[in-house]
Amino acid sequence: MKKSLLSAMAVMLVTASLSACGSSNDGGNNTSNAGNNAQGSNQTDNSGNAAATNTASGNSSNAAATEEAVDPFAKFAEPVEVSIGRAIDPNYKFDGTDTAEDNVYTRWLKDKFNIEIKHAWEAAQGTDYQQKVSLAISSNDLPDAMVVNETQLRQMVKAGQLADLKDVYDKYASPELKATYDSNPGLLDSVTFDGKLYALPETTLPSAPLTWIRKDWLDKLGLQPPKSLADLENIAKAFIDNKMGGDKTIGIVGTQQGGTLYSTFLSSTDHWYNFSPLFFANDAYPGIWTKDKDGNTVYGSTTEETKKALEMMRDWYAKGILDKEMGVRKSTAEVVASGQAGIFFGPWWSAYNNIPDNIKNDPKANWRAYAAPLDAAGKFNSNQATGSSYIVVSKEAKHPEAIIKMTSIHKWGKDEEFNKLTAGKQMTSQEVPLFLILGAGDQLEYAVNSLRKYLKGEMKIEDFDQANYGWAYEMAKHVKAIKKEPFDSYDIGTFDQQADTGFFTHIYAHLNGGSTFVDADVNWVRSIATAQTKTMESRWSNLKKLEDETFLKIIMGSEDISAFDTFVKKWKDQGGDKITEEVNELK
Amino acid sequence: MRTKGFAKHYYLMLLPGLIWLFIYNLFPMYGILTAFKDFNPGIGILKSPWIGLENFQYMFELDDSKLIFRNTIFIALAKMIANLIVPLIFALMLNEVKNRLFTRTVQTIVYLPHFLSWVIVAGMMLDIFSYNGPVNQILSSLGLGKSLFFADAHSFPALIVGSDVWKEFGFNAIIFFAALTSINPEMYEAAAIDGASQWKRLTRITLPSILPVAVLLATLSMGNILNAGFDQIFNLYNPTVYSTGDIIDTWVYRAGLIDMQYGLATAVGLLKSVVGLFLISLSYGLAYRFANYRIF
Repeated sequence: MKKSLLSAMAVMLVTASLSACGSSNDGGNNTSNAGNNAQGSNQTDNSGNAAATNTASGNSSNAAATEEAVDPFAKFAEPVEVSIGRAIDPNYKFDGTDTAEDNVYTRWLKDKFNIEIKHAWEAAQGTDYQQKVSLAISSNDLPDAMVVNETQLRQMVKAGQLADLKDVYDKYASPELKATYDSNPGLLDSVTFDGKLYALPETTLPSAPLTWIRKDWLDKLGLQPPKSLADLENIAKAFIDNKMGGDKTIGIVGTQQGGTLYSTFLSSTDHWYNFSPLFFANDAYPGIWTKDKDGNTVYGSTTEETKKALEMMRDWYAKGILDKEMGVRKSTAEVVASGQAGIFFGPWWSAYNNIPDNIKNDPKANWRAYAAPLDAAGKFNSNQATGSSYIVVSKEAKHPEAIIKMTSIHKWGKDEEFNKLTAGKQMTSQEVPLFLILGAGDQLEYAVNSLRKYLKGEMKIEDFDQANYGWAYEMAKHVKAIKKEPFDSYDIGTFDQQADTGFFTHIYAHLNGGSTFVDADVNWVRSIATAQTKTMESRWSNLKKLEDETFLKIIMGSEDISAFDTFVKKWKDQGGDKITEEVNELK
Repeated sequence: MRTKGFAKHYYLMLLPGLIWLFIYNLFPMYGILTAFKDFNPGIGILKSPWIGLENFQYMFELDDSKLIFRNTIFIALAKMIANLIVPLIFALMLNEVKNRLFTRTVQTIVYLPHFLSWVIVAGMMLDIFSYNGPVNQILSSLGLGKSLFFADAHSFPALIVGSDVWKEFGFNAIIFFAALTSINPEMYEAAAIDGASQWKRLTRITLPSILPVAVLLATLSMGNILNAGFDQIFNLYNPTVYSTGDIIDTWVYRAGLIDMQYGLATAVGLLKSVVGLFLISLSYGLAYRFANYRIF
């Protein structure tokens, strides 16, 4: 009797530990695949406004005009504590002993505005952070505020976890912040559910994937920059044949382990280290919802054009032009930095994050961005990014107004004291808590064009529109020390990399990648749906898995191209048709 | 049997452990309710509406379910067998070496990888088997073609099992070493006097003496048949090897944490736990009957 009781207990204990193992897969297994995610970027305030034009004093006068209005830049009477979940870059180097929680920006925030930032938790940006956010949502253990993606936002709205920001936004948002959202029509509506404002969305920064090529290698081989896909193929082949990056030269690098082949409608800004342009140049738009010739809604991954693109990539892979280790490689950034590869795809700001590491190893590495390859009709295509970051505030937060204030302050609250403290150092998402890209759509265009004019002497520093394009003005103050003649060439040799290290990457990225992008005539293709529909919530992970697996296998040659047709059929049967109907209703 | 008065103290000493177990392992089990509910994190598990077996129904509709169960069992079974045989042979071989310093050194070196995290080992594996890595260089110098092992669905399970054995065999061999030292040396001496050869002594004395241990380990590991090693596979897999490498745990991770389908992920995890409970009970029963093994 006693024995059976004991053995029953023993079984229970073992079961308990087993179930713990089971459940720990949901929770405990944060086997951090740090650096696994190509999005490991530190956003910088590209469109930012570092100028001190709108200080507190400037606004208090017009604030007093309206009744009950509050000065958006006033200091809180009492210290206000805001707890946040924070994405950090483990490799980011702060000055001295500064951390993401305690640095020049957060100290200024505390001294000047009485806003004290506390980190509820930190996670490495990318997959780890997303995972931590999902965990926080599912366990309903939320910090006051954090930055989430669209799927997470919808989940939180559905779960009723968010504070309605309508009143505090109306009351505390600075006129500049309101003007910014007003200049992006529909943006706030997209985060308003049942009349309640649940998030502060980022304004979309335009971003099309450009082709980045080592121009010093092109010159050495006497080749011209690419226009068509065939040009690109030839260049990659020439790089490999001539061992430009040593014996292990890789033609075109892209997707790494855990990455995607192309950006999708759910993560459309993710144009980093993937192969999107190879699809776009085939007039194929996988991963987003488009219209076919007859105007019907169609999922881009199931079209004939996508099949054609895959066939081409399969051919390129077999020839060794595409990275043999695509999708398996731990870090694509590593091979770019080590100089093994001479071609990759990335947005104009790739010069911020990917290239500096390579230049450090080889100061002559002359990366240039090209709006190529073009499609058969000579157009440069890209899918259009939708904003994908949102600041959300928990229902439980005591001071939602502090978060609205912080957002205004980040862009428009910087004063002389701040400029002195930072000494011109650009604050990134690592210093600034709840970093959000905000700005009028033409910040980049203005910055690039005015810098070019300024260099040529067609524009004076006083002509810069400091109030609206402060960042361009700030760069103009530094550009002459960095950019040398000839001013119409953006090769690495025409930049002085040492003269002003704090601003070199900014100027280099704007003039090199930025100018190519501003000058490019992009044929934008927008996704009809930008969020999950009802059926997608349950079916999408299954369909996406099918797609990822099939496409990668076709390219890498372990499946025949006919697997594409099987995929399309399976995709439609397993819920794709129903989802297409739902998306069609959105039109 | 044991003295009864003495046993009570043991139970008292067990108490802290039991409390810990209750708080961290038994109490969180109420979370399995999620499998039967339309989970809404905002209102919590208890208040979320019941939806019966809808999650399970959907799970069985999915093509993936069969695949991930098959992959899991296949990989786990292969690991169980390999992790039993390799350490056994290794222990037997090392046991024959008489130089103590040598055996100690080897033992220490081979069990070190056990303490490395899979994140590190996976990085090493990917490098070693990369397209320009050492393995492919040897292959190409032998005139064989290069291949990308970790993108090949056929070789993936073998690599998983192989790397797991490499990492764990030194550690798993410890229990065999312990069993080997408990063999009475007089038996070997007597056998030597009777003229038994080295090989005979191995097959007739050593093997039978440690067989019960091997059987016990094999039986007990049955409970792990649905644990194919999340850490390892998560760090090594990619979409091209989903067909042979996607296991229950990685699937649950993607469905639950990436796609936030909590109910479905819990349902799959629960099914795994139920099957695991059954297998553990079975293995304990078998061990109890045939190897005279008792937890208490």
